[in-house]
Amino acid sequence: MIQLGNSTRGALSRERDVREAYAAHSGELYGFAVRSLGDAGLAEEAVQETFVRAWRAGDRFDPKIGSLRTWLFAILRNVVIDLGRARSVRPRVAEGGVEPSVEPLDEALTAWQVEEAMRRIGEDHRRVIVETYYRGRPYAEVAEELGVPEGTVKSRVYYGLRALRVVLEEMGYED
Amino acid sequence: MKTRNDCREWRELLGAYALGHLQGDERAGLEAHLDGCARCREELAALQPVALLLPHADPARFGPAPQPPPELGQRVAATIAAERERGEKRRRRRLFGGFAVGGATAAAVAAVLLLFVFGGGDGRGGPEQRVRFAGLPEGITIDATLEPHSYGTEIHMYVHGVPSGTLCRVWLRGADGDSYPAGTFRYRWGDDSDAVLSSALDLSRTRAVVVDTGKRTFVAPVDSPVADLNIPNEEEPT
Repeated sequence: MIQLGNSTRGALSRERDVREAYAAHSGELYGFAVRSLGDAGLAEEAVQETFVRAWRAGDRFDPKIGSLRTWLFAILRNVVIDLGRARSVRPRVAEGGVEPSVEPLDEALTAWQVEEAMRRIGEDHRRVIVETYYRGRPYAEVAEELGVPEGTVKSRVYYGLRALRVVLEEMGYED
Repeated sequence: MKTRNDCREWRELLGAYALGHLQGDERAGLEAHLDGCARCREELAALQPVALLLPHADPARFGPAPQPPPELGQRVAATIAAERERGEKRRRRRLFGGFAVGGATAAAVAAVLLLFVFGGGDGRGGPEQRVRFAGLPEGITIDATLEPHSYGTEIHMYVHGVPSGTLCRVWLRGADGDSYPAGTFRYRWGDDSDAVLSSALDLSRTRAVVVDTGKRTFVAPVDSPVADLNIPNEEEPT
């Protein structure tokens, strides 16, 4: 799990701590908010509300229970639910090219974590997993396209899955 | 065909195997190797949960993640700073209120509402004025901050100690004796936030703040020496 090095109980009760937490986690929180809400403006609102709620409840944060990142995502999850309820009673605003997630929120969070992990692994590894798994192409065909032996494609799939596991663990994912 | 001793080569097939992509001799050979290699079995066990997660992801979303706009961080910081300042103001007002409750016990007997003005200078038409209702029944605290605006007066009202759910109606009373509505709010137990109200009456022409809690009406004169008060004490059971 990712934890801020200096996390202690009540680590978000000071504004400086919020700034540090924002610098460390706002990108991921925003990415998930955009994926869930499908709207950049609502996502900004969600991230802002998440940090304000975190600051209000900062004294209750205890790193012995979970990482700061996990705690912030739990707050964001509630904020997204609240915003989703509010949005259900007002017209949806389309945002250029970003489709809102229609999955249940927990499924959306899992999906976002895997997608974020895929973004973080090396291009060579991501490419072979996309081609062989998601596109279902034969290993021999992918090998020829990449100009490498078929065995190399297989080993890249292996090292790619290993890299995914490491990244997911860093992101706090637990089996 | 790999030999059984070539552990690393078998291991590098574990990814394709975990994804269900190995077939024929290669699959049979790896499974035979796994039977005798605890390390490779352990490695496979670590990869299988990852393989099970892949169907959850949408490969169309593997591109660069959207980034929050740079000004969002400043907005978050500004929102939190503003909330902190409001909290500090409220604590200061409650501190003043706390002192007054003790000091006003005798006044409460006579049900006289005293005025405390914490504004600077003459206060009228200037910066915000903090007024507090005193001589209130034991356990009840009411105070208010008045801020002048071009549209009239903004009122931050703090009430504590009346029954939860109490509907509070607020007016400003002008120099001409007329009352100008400032709005309504409900007091809820456990909520220490201010109610923010507004009235069209200019602060410089405001002589009193009137709060009706349903059972009682409380009045705090604004910016007048206590000796000058000609506003009747109003504590009207209804």
